[in-house]
Amino acid sequence: MSPSSRQTTEPGTVRVRLYRFDPETDREPRYDTYDVPHRPRMRIIDVLDHIHDIEAVDFAYRWFCGTKKCGTCAVNVNGSPKLACWEEAECEMTIEPLKNLPLLRDLVTSRDPFEEALATLAPMIARKESYEGFPEPLSAKDMAGGDHLRDCIQCLACQSACPVLQQPGSGFAGPALLVQLSDLAQDPRDHADRARLADEVAQVFKCVSCYECERVCPTGIPIVSEAIEPLKRLVYGKGAVGARRTRAFVEVVKARGYADAARIALKTNGVSLKALRVALRLGRRGKLGLGSVLGDRSAPAAEAIRKAYQSHEDAE
Amino acid sequence: MKRKYAYFPGCSAKGTCRELDISTHAVASLFDIALEELENPGCTGAREFRAVSEQLHLTANGRILALAERIGCDLVAVCDTCLLNLTETNRRLKTDAAAREAVNRALAGERLTFRGEREVKHFLWVLTEDLGERALEERLVRPLRGLRVAPFYGCHLQRPATVYGGERSEETPALDRLCRLLGAETVPYEGADKCCGFHVLGTAEEIAVRMSGRHLTKAKDNGAQCIVTPCPLCHTVFDAYQPSIEQEFHGAFGVPVLHVSQLVGLACGLSAAEVALSRHVVGCDGILAHIGVGGP
Ligand code: SF4
Ligand code: SF4
Ligand code: FES
Repeated sequence: MSPSSRQTTEPGTVRVRLYRFDPETDREPRYDTYDVPHRPRMRIIDVLDHIHDIEAVDFAYRWFCGTKKCGTCAVNVNGSPKLACWEEAECEMTIEPLKNLPLLRDLVTSRDPFEEALATLAPMIARKESYEGFPEPLSAKDMAGGDHLRDCIQCLACQSACPVLQQPGSGFAGPALLVQLSDLAQDPRDHADRARLADEVAQVFKCVSCYECERVCPTGIPIVSEAIEPLKRLVYGKGAVGARRTRAFVEVVKARGYADAARIALKTNGVSLKALRVALRLGRRGKLGLGSVLGDRSAPAAEAIRKAYQSHEDAE
Repeated sequence: MKRKYAYFPGCSAKGTCRELDISTHAVASLFDIALEELENPGCTGAREFRAVSEQLHLTANGRILALAERIGCDLVAVCDTCLLNLTETNRRLKTDAAAREAVNRALAGERLTFRGEREVKHFLWVLTEDLGERALEERLVRPLRGLRVAPFYGCHLQRPATVYGGERSEETPALDRLCRLLGAETVPYEGADKCCGFHVLGTAEEIAVRMSGRHLTKAKDNGAQCIVTPCPLCHTVFDAYQPSIEQEFHGAFGVPVLHVSQLVGLACGLSAAEVALSRHVVGCDGILAHIGVGGP
């Protein structure tokens, strides 16, 4: 909601390039251009309403609450996902559907893949035994872990921005699902095996930590540090396979005091023809470093990292 | 007055990307900048310490910050991911007394204390902000005229906003400005501020290769002769894994990837050997010929 330099402040015209595509009848998408009279504090949704009411009654878009609650109205504006009911219109907008979701028509994408994937993550509190009595005392401290995560309105803007989800067949669940899973995982009443779900089903370690999801989240959720990293810690704590590189990394730094790339790769994936080819390629350019071969180490740093690790174990 | 900084090269600049360490020192001495390297600093943990525990992440980074404070200078990093870890920890420990005490307890054995007296900077910002554009211009002996450079920023120089806030908004094209100041043309392309995928390179290589291959394709299609990046991790994906990218995309790219300090060094008269250009997987002869420097 920070004012963009491209926002219209003077009365004038909003020029829209609008994505139009009906997969059932059209062979390919097209962009129609509309000039919409600008009104002060006009939102993106007002522009879409105008186009629909005056210019193109057959154009499909979606919204419900109009007040940043239902999460149904997110669209891509000039390449970045925005809540149409909440963001101000810019003087020039290319408006497209969210990415990484199947298109139904024009700006409307299907939420089915999200709902179906959510169903595979046991999306309710699973407790070992029910709490006897009523009401159950829960303090703010008990619930602090998922505090910001519960601001999620499931608008899927973050799914649209995630570069890993753009890779077909990545197996990665994506930020919006990890937010839901992490909220449950941090709930003291929940006893489901969230580490397994995070590792095997959601594949949390496929996150590249690019923070694109945080950049676009309309409710400002620190998705990486408060949803994804707590899940990674859970997976690491269980010694699960997804955390194998993290384990290798920590072991190497504890032993040598620095992150020796070759040793970490070897410990993570073992020897393979592919790895040898990469090693050869790097070795030829002096990129493997003598350190790896001679086994040099920084003893004081290694000692300090071991102590730091110890302080983590003590804190657990 | 000589500028002095505490210098944390990070594991990449001391290992896979030693040319980064070499060229950083070479450029620093050109501009009379003293970089005092931290002794036995360890590692900021990349994305891994934070995937183990907050305590490990904060202690390892707090220790590096405390070492810089002992020297009494601001801390300079040359890796985007190290920069983020250190900046984030610095902020956190300055404001969160409980976290600071826990870290200082862990550091007490080495007689180190985090006091929160110093700032963390990328070497890029030392050049563009502390040193300033005038000083750079004055040393420009070999303007990179007509060289079409695609800047690649990397995520952790600019995101998340909770750490870098508004001051370093994603719109700030510091590297674009620097390239133009050196006489080069910057190539606009979709991907300059996106992710190279490094942090899954060890476990899901195909994801990293496809992500970076896309950016490389766009840069090359728009006419880039080279990529320049402030991050050795991005460098590793684009340079050391370029043969894997070529395989995946069924094409020859041959786009050299330079560290910021290498590009600055060349423009300011350093030789290819002084910025260690021979240590790249993708050869740099094409751009050296373009700017009229003998090969490494
Ligand atoms: S930080 Fe992770 S979840 Fe968020 S957009 Fe990047 S890869 Fe996706
Ligand atoms: S985390 Fe943010 S961007 Fe993602 S679905 Fe929830 S509210 Fe939308
Ligand atoms: S219409 Fe409900 S969030 Fe925009």
